[in-house]
Amino acid sequence: MSGASETAALDSPAPRRTFWSAALMPWLLMSPALLIAIAFFGLPILFMGRMSFNAHIDQRFYVPDFTWDNYAAMLTDPTFRNAIWTTARLALISSIATVIIGYAFAMLVWLKPKRWRLAFVALALCPLLISEISIIFGWWMFFPKNGLLSYALVSSGLTTDKISLMYTEFAAFVGLTYVTLPFCFFILLSIFDGIDKKVLEASADLGAAPLRTFHEMLLPLTKGGIAAAFAQSFIWAVGTYATPSALGPDTLWTIGYLIQEQMLGKHNWPRAAAFSIVLTIGVAIVMMIIRMLSSKRTALNG
Amino acid sequence: MADTSALELDRLRRAFGGVVAVDDVSIDVKRGEFVTLLGPSGSGKTSTLRLIGGFEKPDAGAIRINGGRVDHLPAYQRDTATIFQTGALFPHKTVAENVAYGLRMRGVARADIAPRVRQALDIVRLAGFEERYPAQMSGGQKQRVALARSMVVRPAILLFDEPLSALDLSLRLQLRAEIKRLHDEIGFSAIYVTHDQGEAMAMSSRVAVMRSGRIEQIDRPEKVFGEPASEFVYTFIGESCCLKVQMASGTAADADGAAIDLRLANGLADGDWRLYVRPSRLQIDRADLDNRLKAKLDFTEFLGDVHRYHFKAGRIELFVDHQGAIARRPGDLVDIGWRSADMVAYR
Repeated sequence: MSGASETAALDSPAPRRTFWSAALMPWLLMSPALLIAIAFFGLPILFMGRMSFNAHIDQRFYVPDFTWDNYAAMLTDPTFRNAIWTTARLALISSIATVIIGYAFAMLVWLKPKRWRLAFVALALCPLLISEISIIFGWWMFFPKNGLLSYALVSSGLTTDKISLMYTEFAAFVGLTYVTLPFCFFILLSIFDGIDKKVLEASADLGAAPLRTFHEMLLPLTKGGIAAAFAQSFIWAVGTYATPSALGPDTLWTIGYLIQEQMLGKHNWPRAAAFSIVLTIGVAIVMMIIRMLSSKRTALNG
Repeated sequence: MADTSALELDRLRRAFGGVVAVDDVSIDVKRGEFVTLLGPSGSGKTSTLRLIGGFEKPDAGAIRINGGRVDHLPAYQRDTATIFQTGALFPHKTVAENVAYGLRMRGVARADIAPRVRQALDIVRLAGFEERYPAQMSGGQKQRVALARSMVVRPAILLFDEPLSALDLSLRLQLRAEIKRLHDEIGFSAIYVTHDQGEAMAMSSRVAVMRSGRIEQIDRPEKVFGEPASEFVYTFIGESCCLKVQMASGTAADADGAAIDLRLANGLADGDWRLYVRPSRLQIDRADLDNRLKAKLDFTEFLGDVHRYHFKAGRIELFVDHQGAIARRPGDLVDIGWRSADMVAYR
């Protein structure tokens, strides 16, 4: 009896079953994460996509419809085109600054003896413990004419008159950089931690001066981390709207600001949704480009 | 004579905080010589090597390579090449690129690099592995790439930083023989750091035994083994039995003062002594030898080539390596003898 069942198990049904379980197993294992991603990211985007085709009539939030008007309006609206340019410029510059500062800081922490590490890491964690709004209030005490920066410059004799950097594009740019810096730092630090420091000694030992060692060793070994850190900063800087609108000039209209204005100011939900969809697609395209440019084994590519 | 020295260390000293890691170290490595720094961990051998390579700065003393002072120069301007314990291969470069690196940094003409890389890989028997990445190679292969990468630049002196200690035993013996062969063929000058006395004995022209930052003895391996300069060198190199005895007007007692039956050819002055004999030089049932001790057989270990017999005499424990079995049982009293030349006494 047992012999018969064994031969049955070894016959044709067995391979088929292993084939199915082999094909299904990855999906089964992924399913919890997949469900969360679909429920909390996929569905809202789907609803937002549907919303972007609705009509806006009178002062009602939206009227169910299927129209391309909201997208067509974007092409003709100079405000929106300017906003794309403003957002991209601000995000690009602040991301580059973030990556450079974060890279230098992460490299410093990596090279320093272990006993300094905790202090540096705690320092980098600080901004993450404070809400974005509190940080903005902090900048409000830093940038104005009677703020800390002005006071420091005058009392140190660098300038004779009090100056205000409040509500300038520079302030918005500094604010954005500050918000994205901690994430960038931790991404890069984890990449540095994966490098054997003896490699630097070996490079010097074979005759490479420090700059040459940086160019031949550290830069190629951290390439993927740089791409990941840049992508993360860029996405964050494109999406965030509170910091640039609170610190920048009134005319600094980012896409985030326009979405907020359509949503809360003009009660035009379909238009706000259309803006958001374009922003999302734009970010996705940037991600794909960075992913293609960066090397194969990175945090982005897995 | 200075023109034949590849490397001279002159009263080198380096302290970390309050700990003196390298203390008054002087070595003169002739061209083509293979000098080993041998010592337990913390004896300052790796620190000495890092001073030579330029990864640490000495507090005092001078380092001369081919007669010219280098201790003010950074690592990348010194004509040395290190083989690291972990290999420290460049993970993002192929084997060929790894080996070519030092040549590129030293400005060797592009046309000369490829043949020299090929030759270096031939020498370490890795021809055909040019396009592999370090991650695709075994531990032993990686160390051979590291060897090729350092040798290809033909430095004034090669620095080995325990290059075999991360490998398993058979691979270690194989690579040890290979390094020895390369040294015989090419005649490079080298400083080799290890805590493995087998490696030191097998490969070296001279061995420097180090202890807490100082060189205890530097000499040919046979001399270091046969005529150790100090008790530390004697006990660190090879196996030894220690007989702790108290001498009082010609009679011997163990450390507790209990009498033992020990006859010595040359009488020792009164006081506490430590007598050392190598277990291979102790002989069983030889009452005719100049020095002898009556001891009780404790237990026996079979070691393959020899049996190791463990004996006790009072508090004294010793073991004898003897070929073949002896017809004795634990508890039997046995005469153990040795020649005077095979014993050293310290007090």
